[in-house]
Amino acid sequence: MSDAVTLSLGARPEHVLVADCIAADRFAGLDAKQIAALPVVHGGRPGTLGEFFKIRGERSSVVRIEGDLAQVDAIGAGMTGGELTIDGSVGRDLGLAMSGGRIDVRGNAGDNAGGALPGAARGMTGGEIIVRGNVGDEAGARMRRGMIAVTGDGGRGTGEGMIAGTVVVFGKAGPGAGRFLKRGSIVALGKIERPATFRYACTYRPPHVNLLLRYLRTDAGIPVTDRHTAGRYERYSGDLAELGKGEILQWAGE
Amino acid sequence: MKINGVAIVDTFAEAFTMRVARLVITGRTAKWAREAATKLTGFATSVIGCKCEAGIERELTAAETPDGRPGISVLFLTMDKTSLPEQLIVRVGQTVLTCPTTACFDGLPDAPDRLAVGKALRVFGDGFQASKVIGGKRYWRLPVMEGEFLVEETFGMLKGVGGGNFLILAADADAALAAAEAAVAAMTSLPGVILPFPGGVVRSGSKVGSKRYKSLVATTNDPFDPTLRAITQTELPEGVNSVLEIVLDGTDAPSIEAAMRAGISAACRPGVNSITAANFGGKLGPHHFHLRKIMSGVGA
Repeated sequence: MSDAVTLSLGARPEHVLVADCIAADRFAGLDAKQIAALPVVHGGRPGTLGEFFKIRGERSSVVRIEGDLAQVDAIGAGMTGGELTIDGSVGRDLGLAMSGGRIDVRGNAGDNAGGALPGAARGMTGGEIIVRGNVGDEAGARMRRGMIAVTGDGGRGTGEGMIAGTVVVFGKAGPGAGRFLKRGSIVALGKIERPATFRYACTYRPPHVNLLLRYLRTDAGIPVTDRHTAGRYERYSGDLAELGKGEILQWAGE
Repeated sequence: MKINGVAIVDTFAEAFTMRVARLVITGRTAKWAREAATKLTGFATSVIGCKCEAGIERELTAAETPDGRPGISVLFLTMDKTSLPEQLIVRVGQTVLTCPTTACFDGLPDAPDRLAVGKALRVFGDGFQASKVIGGKRYWRLPVMEGEFLVEETFGMLKGVGGGNFLILAADADAALAAAEAAVAAMTSLPGVILPFPGGVVRSGSKVGSKRYKSLVATTNDPFDPTLRAITQTELPEGVNSVLEIVLDGTDAPSIEAAMRAGISAACRPGVNSITAANFGGKLGPHHFHLRKIMSGVGA
């Protein structure tokens, strides 16, 4: 057992590398050989993790990944616990349908971060995803529980079809954010293009946003300012074409 | 044993195991946190008549609270596991939920026994309530006319100690009151301890049962009543004309001991004859706080 497992990507993969075997909790019971033997799909062809990554450490649920991972998809898929830190940008399907633990990306993430498997009703059902950069489209789509924090911009359809949970976007959120939201919160510190099916409720200081942003500052080290933690937010209820119990909270100043 | 010329009687305070919860109430300003805490802990002096004992433990700075606002830490005690959540649900619902700007957090996060206080209060939201999990803890957001009330879903419960005490026997009422005030000042804000009575002081210490009224569980402590000295079996030394009691509840015995040490030291001042304590012969409560042992090393 070691303090952490470190995966270092060798050369950038020629094709998309689907590495849904990488999950912090999964590595807790595996030695380095077993980790190296985990299956991946490269350009539609089967392979092993060890063919692409140099592996250091074993039997730990604290995992660090290094390298240019923009072509690597589905990291942290189905993760149930542990800590996964990624030094660099990643591909699509980050934390797909995960249910626990924390994924911390020091770069950008592709589409469908924290989203659902194709055809599945639910996306992530727990845990935290922190992206210290931008995310692609549909981050948190069909999310049931958990939290996604994006320090950069969100793509189209951020939080689309959320059932519950929280998505925080520090930059601007693309069009269609919160569309088909049943419950759950999208906290927008920057600009957000709200669907027409959201209705203004009030401007107030939501106590849970204060708590959440403080948590991100102290626990995740995100530099959240006091004007955001203690600020006023416009509350828009929606999606009124759905259950309507969700909300977009848009920062409105100090 | 004497401290500053005040005799420390060779006896002990007998205290009981109670169930304790710690609540952290925050507000937009310290005033509003205190308003809620004062109401929450009102009419909570003794389980005999109030079914619970509660008090303000200390004020918290913004840096010490979960939401970065000024706060008050409150301890809340009952005799059993069942009545603690019952009392908390009723009282938090009527005094903190109703108080402008406040939020209510658990102050015993590591306690394994959890009381579903926020979970019960959530139904005030009439279906419009929402929950959020932040850092592994669930909070309930209750819509209210002001905005939202935030309350933690569960609160920790520990075995605490209730009924730590000491009696100040003084030459007159003024001296007793001055000594009691000094003791309270020394004990206020010590961690893990509350003084549930008005101003931290009790003038009507009680004995178990009644000599005359069978239905009463507690009546006046006549051996310590100076006006009854001539007609009852008095415990008062000559020259004592007034007695005040300090009652302490806390999270654990060491906290009670530390507070008693500070309080008795402060109470040993001119006009005070002796310091003693109330007990039931050691048969009722498992916690015995021996005054001389606690005060050993303080000064003769």
